[in-house]
Amino acid sequence: MSLSKATVAAIEKQRDRYPQPRSAILPALWAVQHEVGHLSPEAMGEVASLLRVAPSEVEAVSTFYSMYFQKPHGRHEVLVCINVSCGLRGADDIVGHLERTLGCASGETSADGEFTWASTVECLGACGGAPAMQVDHHFHEDLTPERVDDVLARVRNAGT
Amino acid sequence: MAEYKLLTKDFGTERLQTLSVYESTGGYQGLREAFKKFTPESLVNEVKTSGIRGRGGAGFPTGTKWSFLPKDVFPRYLCCNADESEPGCFKDRYLIDESPHQLIEGVLIASYAIQCNTAFIYIRGEYHDQRLLLERAVEEARSAGYIGKNIAGSGFDCEIIVHGGAGAYICGEETALIDSLEGLRGQPRLKPPFPAIKGLYGQPTVVNNVETLCNLPHIVQRGGEWFKSLGTERSTGTRVFCCSGHINRPGNYEMQLGTQIRELLEEECGGMWRDRSLKAFQPGGGSMQVLLPEHLDLPLDMDAVAKAGSSLGAGAMVFMDETTCLVDVSMRLVDFYQHESCGKCVPCREGTYFESQLMHRLERGEASTSELATLAGICANMDGRCFCPLGDTATWFVMSAYKHFGEEFEAHCGAGECPVKARSVAMVA
Amino acid sequence: MAADGSALEQPDDGRVGVSIDGRDARFPKGMLVLDAATELGIHIPIYCAHPKMDPVAVCRMCLVNIEKFPKPQPACATVVAEGMVVRTETAEVTELREGMLEFLLLNHPLDCPVCDRGGECDLQDFTFRYGPGVSRFPITEKVHFNKAVPLSQHIELDQERCILCWRCVRYYDEITGEKEIVLQQRGVQTLVATFNDQELQSAFQGNLPEICPVGALTHREYRFVSRPWDLQRAAGVCPECSYGCNINVDSRDFEVKRFASRDNPLVDDSWLCDRGRYSFPVWNSAERVRRAAVQPRGGESRDVSVDDAVAAAAAELRGVIDEHSGEAVAVLGSAQSTNEECWLLERLARTVIHTPHIDHQLEAFADLTAGEHELGIAEIEECDTLVVLGPQPEIEAPVLTLRLYKAEQKRGARVLRLDADTAPARVAAAVGTAQRVGLIADETNRAHAARVAPALAGKRSVRMLTITRGVNGRGAKDLGVLPNLGAGYQSAPASGKSGREILEAAAEGSIRALLLLGPNPALEAAGELLERALRKLSVVVAIDTRPGAASRAATVLIPGHALLEKAGSVTNVEGRVQRIRTALPPATSAPPETRVLSALAGKLGAKGWERGDVLTVNRAMRDAIPAYAAAGNGGRAVWAAEAPA
Ligand SMILES: Cc1cc2nc3c(=O)[nH]c(=O)nc-3n(C[C@H](O)[C@H](O)[C@H](O)COP(=O)(O)O)c2cc1C
Ligand code: SF4
Ligand code: FES
Repeated sequence: MSLSKATVAAIEKQRDRYPQPRSAILPALWAVQHEVGHLSPEAMGEVASLLRVAPSEVEAVSTFYSMYFQKPHGRHEVLVCINVSCGLRGADDIVGHLERTLGCASGETSADGEFTWASTVECLGACGGAPAMQVDHHFHEDLTPERVDDVLARVRNAGT
Repeated sequence: MAEYKLLTKDFGTERLQTLSVYESTGGYQGLREAFKKFTPESLVNEVKTSGIRGRGGAGFPTGTKWSFLPKDVFPRYLCCNADESEPGCFKDRYLIDESPHQLIEGVLIASYAIQCNTAFIYIRGEYHDQRLLLERAVEEARSAGYIGKNIAGSGFDCEIIVHGGAGAYICGEETALIDSLEGLRGQPRLKPPFPAIKGLYGQPTVVNNVETLCNLPHIVQRGGEWFKSLGTERSTGTRVFCCSGHINRPGNYEMQLGTQIRELLEEECGGMWRDRSLKAFQPGGGSMQVLLPEHLDLPLDMDAVAKAGSSLGAGAMVFMDETTCLVDVSMRLVDFYQHESCGKCVPCREGTYFESQLMHRLERGEASTSELATLAGICANMDGRCFCPLGDTATWFVMSAYKHFGEEFEAHCGAGECPVKARSVAMVA
Repeated sequence: MAADGSALEQPDDGRVGVSIDGRDARFPKGMLVLDAATELGIHIPIYCAHPKMDPVAVCRMCLVNIEKFPKPQPACATVVAEGMVVRTETAEVTELREGMLEFLLLNHPLDCPVCDRGGECDLQDFTFRYGPGVSRFPITEKVHFNKAVPLSQHIELDQERCILCWRCVRYYDEITGEKEIVLQQRGVQTLVATFNDQELQSAFQGNLPEICPVGALTHREYRFVSRPWDLQRAAGVCPECSYGCNINVDSRDFEVKRFASRDNPLVDDSWLCDRGRYSFPVWNSAERVRRAAVQPRGGESRDVSVDDAVAAAAAELRGVIDEHSGEAVAVLGSAQSTNEECWLLERLARTVIHTPHIDHQLEAFADLTAGEHELGIAEIEECDTLVVLGPQPEIEAPVLTLRLYKAEQKRGARVLRLDADTAPARVAAAVGTAQRVGLIADETNRAHAARVAPALAGKRSVRMLTITRGVNGRGAKDLGVLPNLGAGYQSAPASGKSGREILEAAAEGSIRALLLLGPNPALEAAGELLERALRKLSVVVAIDTRPGAASRAATVLIPGHALLEKAGSVTNVEGRVQRIRTALPPATSAPPETRVLSALAGKLGAKGWERGDVLTVNRAMRDAIPAYAAAGNGGRAVWAAEAPA
């Protein structure tokens, strides 16, 4: 077992909520990602045995969803929406700004290992506050380059 | 007519997210009345009477959908569709953020009507804070006896499980949602059998949108007949419209159906920004066809908008001003579909890729005129031939934009750059 | 249906009237439009549909127009309905097929010249037949994947050639349940892969290249070996075990290049196990007995003609019979011999040589009855509970596992895998109130199974299936190549010695002559006892294929034919009599075994053995054995009920 006791317990608790154990795959993968930072084959194997499915099924599921990481990621995750509504209100500028300040392209991790960012193409559901981004699952809306700097600095300093 | 607040009446009340405040605004009265006034069957009929149609996009009459469940087959399941990922939509997030208990109450009323003892709220992975909010609300409701055994002394039992997705637009499609909930890759299922007959875990299942369910406490309390008096004959009640784009006040506005779109734009949204004029708008969300300024006089009515060649869909309104390049907008949407295609069927998987490659060439001004015919050919081979509506709708916006703004598409061919952007930059400068 | 409404007058015969391309016909309810069209000889191209798997309708190649449907519908997933009007030849259908092929070729590497599938590839074939003339894709930015990734010693995966029909994934999901290959990623990045790139473990992976409609999954053993049109194909039965899976033997330049499955829904259901499929190289072995020889004890061995060898064999056997009696001669057949050979051998032993000592393997089968294989393979699916005693049945006949899984998955049956010697009462407890029970054992615990069966009996039906050994182990038993039973499980006139007893008797001298029809791998298990027996025997007439103990010790040696060089029939575990055809030219100029045995009988003075060709022998056998006459080619031999003991 490489997963912590707490994670295993969390997965088992999720499993027991559902009529069928395999329904807990997504919550279980979330628990793993929060602990390990990404979904390693070993961890997927453990999830499989906890939920009584084949490891291959866990991998099949985990690679389908865009929010799971198959590889190690930066400490913080930044998702920038470039879909229509954000595009209309300047998302491209935000993307350009992030490329410059983080020094890497979408999908990559900044050299200091702090941020992995992506200009996801799935609309984030924040069109009313376009342009918008999510940092570690929290929304930040009505972005300007200055606001972006602000948010990144706060996250970096909070160290969470 | 202006904004009409039914679902959003108490929004903004401080700490409405807590059970006690929600109750103080009349919350959970709908549920209590449902138990008192209705049998499950009569409740289904009441919802039929209200004429409410699903707010998830397809606009199917909710009461009718419930009545498809086969008699005597149990357990049955309710799935609340909170996957909201349609480009331009953010109303479900708003409804949850402002009043999670209203949704929970709606889920419980629907569960009682269809006699379901385990309901799921499937919420997209990106709505992480909203999921936590809902989970807290569920716990609160459970300790108050609204969830669990013998709810409010009614003898009715119901559990609610909040289930987080992980980034896949297709999981909003009801059968893909069910597969995802079962712990599979969220890909649409072959129909028939329809979920009402064989859905989650092979059992009869109803999938309803967040907003649809949020209407239920009000329908119960004020009656189906009253509800029907709102809106138009075949589009009853209100809807929350997600307004975004080049407008002064983007946001969610609850409107009585039947109101003119112009009123929504000019009164609620504060009109177009920077004193620019409207070039085009998209009602319904990323899947729907583009409409023109002349369509502003249409009423917010599902059938009227359908007749104009588009759809109210999931209630998004994206307004675009005169500087907008429709090729660029089309490209963004096509990229979205390409990214979100589940990959199950050939025309969607390969077609969106083909489309996306062409759109990028076109937007960069590299495509030749003959590629426009290719684009149209590809779209024709996708629309109506894909396994599920995602692939079909991946062609709708771009083809409608090509139809209305053909010259703009042609002007891109061989231009070496985006001519609209070049002009807009000049114009704004 | 017809404009005059005649459909209304049709009685409800469980069928519905449908029109496809203007042709009216009636089809069973629940039938797929695809299958209905096929019945009318109308071809609808498919990729994802597979007759053994549930429809998924993902490739969209089979879309057809159906009246009253605004959009084209997938023929592979739409069931026929009364009055349905289907059109497969409309402009829309032609155009969409072209369009789907354009999509499929978009990210396809188009490496047909180096693809093993070329010539039997559905992508290639349909592109010729329905495809677009040119590609409109202006971009060279194809999506690239890994090419030629070995998934195991047998299977190679080319992810770029894959068209994502899901067949391999569904195969592992629905047919074997092993879930080794799954879909990963999504959209245009979707690919088929194993967990963490692990090697395939399945004992049934060889089916993958066959279900793959393109060259994505291929046999590594067949890489760059041949184009399909250069292969010679012969219908046969898998020689590896007694289950009787139907195969095609594909050969080129007198060598077997592959075994391919040949769907028999009653037996293999189109699947082969890897042990069988990949056993083909042994048939290309150059190690063969090629010349007839006379090898007198202590004398000089010399090559002779087959005629002379037969004459010498007859003379030697005659000598022993005359000096002692027929009972001093023993006859050993083999579970590898054809029915025709078995039948001749049994007749030769009992009516010409007059010896009761005949068998086809070492251990005796006490109390053998036809009831031991009452349960047919396909009937496994009709059982609500299946009891498998021990692992051996599935080790002996691996494809059985897939039938059990099908019964479980598709028919809701319960499969109980119990220890080989589970006490009858415990089996009964496990079976509970099941009504239709199948009881499956093998040769090592058949006697135990026979004690379990009565413990289960009662109002329910209990049927048994014993997995025999050797490709024709059942035929040898049916036809009485047994010491205690004659053909049809009838008691033999005199009871003889089992294989092991024959060797023991030979080793201590009471059996003096042995007629051996090989190859018989079962004999080799006797090891040192076999050596001792062979040394002691004064006459050993061996008809054999491979050099070994028997051919070395033979006083008369006659080259035999390998199974793939033979024609005739073999009988599988459940008693199904199946024809085999010559798939390879013989490696010897000797006549077939049936002729050699007939000639030997003739030289021993028997009458009516003049014609030893397989066809004549087969006819004579069927005349003599009504159960085999009734079975014909492909039916099961049903034996008259036994008188209860
Ligand atoms: C590709 C696709 C995505 C969808 N996404 C959503 C969604 O995010 N939320 C939603 O409520 N319905 C969505 N739908 C519609 C659902 O399939 C379903 O019709 C709806 O949830 C039913 O609820 P309603 O009857 O209350 O509208 C989507 C449909 C498709 C084809
Ligand atoms: S149209 Fe096909 S590939 Fe696209 S999302 Fe639907 S099933 Fe998946
Ligand atoms: S064969 Fe029907 S969709 Fe593939």
